[in-house]
Amino acid sequence: MAIVKMDKISLIGLQRDRNEIIDSLMKMGVVQITDIDFDNSEDGLSDLIAKSGDEEKVIQLDTQIEKIKSTINYLSGFNTKKRGLFEPKRVVEENELNEIIKNKSDLWSIVENIDSLNEKLSLLRSDENRLSNLIASLEPWENLSIPMEVSSTKYTLVSHGVVPVTVDIEALKSELSELAPQSYIERVNRDKDQSYISIIYHISCGDVVTEILKKYGFSKVSFTGLTGTPAANIANAKRQIAEIEEKRKNIQKKIKEFAGVRDKLEVLHDYLEIQRDKVKVLSKMAKTDKTFILEGWLPSEKSSEVKNIISGNWECVLEIRPSKKGEEHPILLRNNSFVRPFEVITEMYSLPSAREIDPNAIMAPFYFIFFGMMVSDAGYGLVIALATAIILKKFKLQGMAHKLISLLFFGGISTFIWGALFGGWFGNVVEALSGGAYTIPPLWFNPLDDPIRLLIWSFIFGALHIFAGMGIKAYMLIKDGKVSDALFDIIPWYLVIAGLGMLVVGGVIGSIGKYMAIIGAVVLILTQGRTEKNIVKRLFKGILSLYGVTGYLSDILSYSRLLALGLSTGVVATVINTMGTLFGFSIGGIIIFLIVFLIGTVFNIAINALGAYVHSSRLQYVEFFGKFYEGGGEGYEPFKIKTKYTNININDGRQNR
Amino acid sequence: MNILSALFNGNVLALTGAALAVILAGIGSAKGVGLVGETAAGLVSEEPDSFGKVLLLQALPGTQGIYGLLTAFVILNKIGLVGGTAVELSTQQGFLFLAASLPIAIVGYLSAIAQARVAAAGIGIVAKRPDELAKAITFSAMVETYAVLALLASILMVFGIKV
Repeated sequence: MAIVKMDKISLIGLQRDRNEIIDSLMKMGVVQITDIDFDNSEDGLSDLIAKSGDEEKVIQLDTQIEKIKSTINYLSGFNTKKRGLFEPKRVVEENELNEIIKNKSDLWSIVENIDSLNEKLSLLRSDENRLSNLIASLEPWENLSIPMEVSSTKYTLVSHGVVPVTVDIEALKSELSELAPQSYIERVNRDKDQSYISIIYHISCGDVVTEILKKYGFSKVSFTGLTGTPAANIANAKRQIAEIEEKRKNIQKKIKEFAGVRDKLEVLHDYLEIQRDKVKVLSKMAKTDKTFILEGWLPSEKSSEVKNIISGNWECVLEIRPSKKGEEHPILLRNNSFVRPFEVITEMYSLPSAREIDPNAIMAPFYFIFFGMMVSDAGYGLVIALATAIILKKFKLQGMAHKLISLLFFGGISTFIWGALFGGWFGNVVEALSGGAYTIPPLWFNPLDDPIRLLIWSFIFGALHIFAGMGIKAYMLIKDGKVSDALFDIIPWYLVIAGLGMLVVGGVIGSIGKYMAIIGAVVLILTQGRTEKNIVKRLFKGILSLYGVTGYLSDILSYSRLLALGLSTGVVATVINTMGTLFGFSIGGIIIFLIVFLIGTVFNIAINALGAYVHSSRLQYVEFFGKFYEGGGEGYEPFKIKTKYTNININDGRQNR
Repeated sequence: MNILSALFNGNVLALTGAALAVILAGIGSAKGVGLVGETAAGLVSEEPDSFGKVLLLQALPGTQGIYGLLTAFVILNKIGLVGGTAVELSTQQGFLFLAASLPIAIVGYLSAIAQARVAAAGIGIVAKRPDELAKAITFSAMVETYAVLALLASILMVFGIKV
């Protein structure tokens, strides 16, 4: 239960062994290679060494990886075989990998091929868009019988255009026939915005017509570049769209034929990623003409293994030393299987720094208790625990997802325990269904009957939680040799808070509490100003420090959410049961009950589990971590084989020799 | 006079309290969830994968509405409107229930909206640093504390009223 001890590794090797050593380190996957600090290296050394690394190669590989990735994504749209959400990665053996690397150029030509087919598809798509737009713009003119390229004859002019739909066409017609008798106007179409009109008039009355049309808000439409009637054009465009559809089907069929290479592309993608990582890590190292230098961290327990392999196979200077006191190093947490899921809560806040201790072991039981109290329904707890257990069993989850689901699993168990203690089984479903004849009695007490009792317990849990946080602070102070700080800053507060709590109980305990609180307060007044020279200032600061009691009180009051959220689950569950049983016990009533009960329960579990997660986390972050925790550690990320799609069993440097 | 005595009927007052708790806290939550939802939709249009994360943030200001419903239900249960026999309340008792509903009604309304603002800003965190979701949630949960306290006050008051 702690932060894993780390050793610092420094290695100077020969350039000719470099790739093999890097392969070997990658295969072992335990060393985190860190940037070499040029500025702080010893005098003279910085002139001899240069930064290693090949940016261009990294970029080049990245481009290739991106290209394959987009092809894979593209192909997955055509894939016939669906993959499950949590399906484990496919294992690729060495001979398969070698086969694929050998035929790399074939795969690349397929990628290019798919690329160009894809490009054709997008050209077709833009063609189709253009044609659809054309159809949309011509459709209102479909009834126009004059070819669109005709804008004049020997003695007449032709004009097409639109007027707002509010314009009275009959008025326009009569005005035209009156003032310009040598004209013919026709309304071709109308929609909800405008009327589409076509007008033919003799050249001689051109000005008059233009004037009248202007008055009616006419705006001219020109069909540049189009010939023939609109109807013919529309038909033509529709035919072309059909052709495009046909072509598209053909291309898609061709692409579909390539869907089978997706597996191979995935292997190639992962292989290239490994190559990229190997080149990339070089930029963290330094080099001279004949040698290379790398530094890093690894867990102490792996040190001898790494040492044996590296110095056993290659000629090099290898130094592995334990981390110095107070030296920052990558953080790897190791806890037992109960505590491990709760690490995720700390990780989301911040990893501990190397100087601190891992708070998870102390945090976990509190989180466990709080989560359960906030949901506190035995039925819900069973549902959560079973559902998460099935997920854990069925899918091999990794990393964060595994921790979160396990966290929910433990949360479910805690919920079950608290639910049984408080007598909540899907709210009061037994009572509701039996019409009050049966109830499941609580093992402890029902918070609905006596909320104040649970409120007091919430405060007690809160005080213990805060005390634990302060205890860690005291422990860390003592570890750093600041015993007096621990003695004067933490212990008196224990006395004051516990004393005030006991005072509320009254009786003999109350009077003991009174004296505890007074002693604590006196110690605080006398010691809190100890950094001040001036005796008056010192006393004043001491008295002022008592104000800190409000902080502790508000922290403890914050735990009343344990009661509030616990009650809320139970009451909402009761609401669901009441709603469900409103329709009696006819067949229809039972069906309604089942529907209401199912939907309501799922909803209530979801919203309360979210609430419990959020508020338990908050209690850890604000009330608990606030007492001692600084965080700021960097996670341990060893240099290892990282692949996206497959698990590749690559050979390491040793076997190549 | 008849209307006045009907208005100051204890049961009417208690129901008014229950209704206020649902109405005000509900409006607050609806506004809040809506506000975060709009922001969330903006992010999801760019990064569809972040849906699950922003949905969590959107759900946060929704709890006040539930707290309002909860308080209403506790009141209804206490005066025997759901389950049990209806109780005739005096005018004073009615006012007591009305008073008890006020904390969650008012604090629920305002805190839901304030919490929604924090959650919407939290979506900005998720957009830039998807790994820092927990911090965004924690900021938002800080606001919710006061809704929880108001709920607690309301419920304790209701439990404490003698009928």
